[in-house]
Amino acid sequence: MDSNLSSNIPVPIFELKNVNKQFGSFQSLININLQIQAGDRVALVGSSGAGKSTLINLLNGTLQPSEGEVWVLGRNLASLRPKSLRQVQQQIGTIYQQFHLVDNLRVIHNINAGHLGRWSFLKAAVSLIFPRDVETAARALKQVGMLEKLYQRTDRLSGGQQQRVAIARVLVQNPIAILADEPISSLDSERSREIIQLLRQLSQDSGKTLVTSLHAFEYAHTYYQRIIGLRQGRILFDAPAEAVSPAMVEALYRLKD
Amino acid sequence: MSIDPKQPSLLNWRTLWGLLFVAAVIWSLHLAGLFERDQVNVGGWTLVVRFLLAAFSPELSSEFLHLTLEATLQTLTYAVCGTFFSVLLGLVGGVLSSEVWWLSKGFQAYWLAVRAFLAIPRAIHELIWGLFLINIFGLDPLVAVLAIAIPFGAITAKVFAEILDETPRTSLLALLNSGVSPLNAFAYSLIPQAFPNLLSYTFYRFECSIRSAAVLGIIGAGGLGYQILLSLQSLRYEQMWTFLIALVLLSGATDFWSAMLRRQLGATSRLDLNVLNLSQRQKPLDQDHRLVSLSLFGVIVLLIFSFWYVKADFTKLWTPRTAQLLAGLIQDSFPPDISQLSQVLTLAAQTLAMSLLAITIAGIGGILLSFPAANNFLLPGGILDPGRNSHLGTAVLVFTRFFLLFTRAVPEPIWALIFLFVFFPGILPGAIALGIHNLGILGRLMAEVTENLDQRAARSLKALGATGSQVFLYGVLPCTLPRFVAYILYRWEVCIRATLIVGFVGAGGLGRLLTEQLSSFDYRGVIATLICFICLTFLVDLISATVRRTLR
Repeated sequence: MDSNLSSNIPVPIFELKNVNKQFGSFQSLININLQIQAGDRVALVGSSGAGKSTLINLLNGTLQPSEGEVWVLGRNLASLRPKSLRQVQQQIGTIYQQFHLVDNLRVIHNINAGHLGRWSFLKAAVSLIFPRDVETAARALKQVGMLEKLYQRTDRLSGGQQQRVAIARVLVQNPIAILADEPISSLDSERSREIIQLLRQLSQDSGKTLVTSLHAFEYAHTYYQRIIGLRQGRILFDAPAEAVSPAMVEALYRLKD
Repeated sequence: MSIDPKQPSLLNWRTLWGLLFVAAVIWSLHLAGLFERDQVNVGGWTLVVRFLLAAFSPELSSEFLHLTLEATLQTLTYAVCGTFFSVLLGLVGGVLSSEVWWLSKGFQAYWLAVRAFLAIPRAIHELIWGLFLINIFGLDPLVAVLAIAIPFGAITAKVFAEILDETPRTSLLALLNSGVSPLNAFAYSLIPQAFPNLLSYTFYRFECSIRSAAVLGIIGAGGLGYQILLSLQSLRYEQMWTFLIALVLLSGATDFWSAMLRRQLGATSRLDLNVLNLSQRQKPLDQDHRLVSLSLFGVIVLLIFSFWYVKADFTKLWTPRTAQLLAGLIQDSFPPDISQLSQVLTLAAQTLAMSLLAITIAGIGGILLSFPAANNFLLPGGILDPGRNSHLGTAVLVFTRFFLLFTRAVPEPIWALIFLFVFFPGILPGAIALGIHNLGILGRLMAEVTENLDQRAARSLKALGATGSQVFLYGVLPCTLPRFVAYILYRWEVCIRATLIVGFVGAGGLGRLLTEQLSSFDYRGVIATLICFICLTFLVDLISATVRRTLR
């Protein structure tokens, strides 16, 4: 990192150095080198099984690489003690395809879960009975346009609504970077457009870095500055959105080599 | 913000039931005399120490081991024969009390009548059946076999009926519409379709039968329960531990076999068997037919061996003397004697208190121990993987599981006798005994809930930097607690029935009165007490069902 500091180049938010990831005998990611800077809006595209979700899970510290290094906010995740790892993770908010909310809890508690990295155990426990920081949660829910659902049980909401709750949770978490792993794959096209627009607007307004994995190329082209194409665990291209040609896209989704 | 939605009031069904529960526990403790009397018999502690020390030197002479083996086989064969008859009864009763059978015959509501009729043998505990049957057949192994077969047959019938009613009917209807008679149509469609579930349940019943066969020992039916009781009463603790170990092994081996087989048959977990939710049944991943066929072969061998070994005099079933004795017994029992009604009602309140305290102990203890006993919790890769020192996690898991196995393998009356060393007779030792036994069962059931938990939400919380305890609080507890409560309520229904058997060894409640009435041949009193007891169990069932419905 010394060279970065001396030459005044800002530390990248995410950096992957020669990363390989293997599950058993399956090579999910092969030799990935990647830098994502503060404020970038990046779309990861590729067919299913290309390694998009694995990449996202490496970036938020859920998975560790088989080889290589993952640097987040200038720290090598592999070298961190659990407490420091949690502090880094607190700065990374993740949204999932299947929402991954706690079904049995009310919306307010799922949103407040965004505070968990900062809250003490006691405060977290009390909040389950007497909700704390209600105003912050309400403001976040209002931003995603669902204020009236604050005290609903989460499993009573529709898919699009649950994804909005997940976004509100990230808002409350207030991280430096937002990762979204196929956030629209479980939603219909109308809902998909709303969610993607919402994500872009949030990242634009607050200057947060946004990394979204997408199955469909069209949204990536319209809403993101930079597109990374993944195919069978390798980076096929990494280019500004306007520089991605139809031929590159075709190569990305072609069935055989 | 003026348009904020209003925070819902804290006064809802959940808090209401919670407050009622706390009040009920305080009332129970009051009835147990905890606030007035001295409960602990200080002199008993030396016996407890002797008892515990004996665990390190169980009697292992070859002669004695031979006796242990005999007793173990006796308990096993009672269970096998009892299960065999209860499944026979269950199949007949199950078909007759299923809605789909009567629909296929073109009648409407007869199944309800059959079900209502079956509720009566189900409500009477095996031990009571045993005591009744002893009066007819004398001390014959037949008593133990029938005492298991009758109530378990009624339970199996109910569950089989529910399984049959939940099995898809299209193929059955196709056969019926082409003119096949209902019995043949059943045999060629619904029964084979439901077979894996029926078989799973049969094995689960077999696990229960082993425990029941041991309990029946205390009324003199022989086997491990009887031997444990004898050695406990004659203060030969070293021998008692040998029997206890044999019982734990027998019970553990049965549980293990049954669990493995059920996984092969499509993973009907114990939970789903208890609170039947077969719609969630998973497809078996890779069926190992060898295990299933090997088990079926084992079952046949075990059946033949058991019927040969048990030496029950089945001819007694149809001798005229049996009919005579039965008629005499019925004549002696009616009309019920209600002169002791006020005493019976006081004891009923005590029995209810005993069951409440027992389920409180079992519920709280079960919840606490279920997490370390779950295989996806402290181990590497688990929800609360401590990261370092994975051996500790494994050690905790093995120890907790063994503890749970031990507590549930020792029958309730034996626990009661042990606690009567240090407690004065009353509902408290009974409640603790029932609580400890059920703790073992609930702990295992709840560990399975945690093992089947969808971990994605918990992992997403971990990914945003929550600590282990916070993940537990937000990602694990909210998902598991509702099911825990459902199983606690279900187990409470079992507990109230089991109060009888701890009452038999002097732990108070209606069970104790029943023992006195039975030993003085006061059958009219027995009938009055039994009716009151059955009403009490129905009351508990009703409360439990209501709470479960409002918490859903």
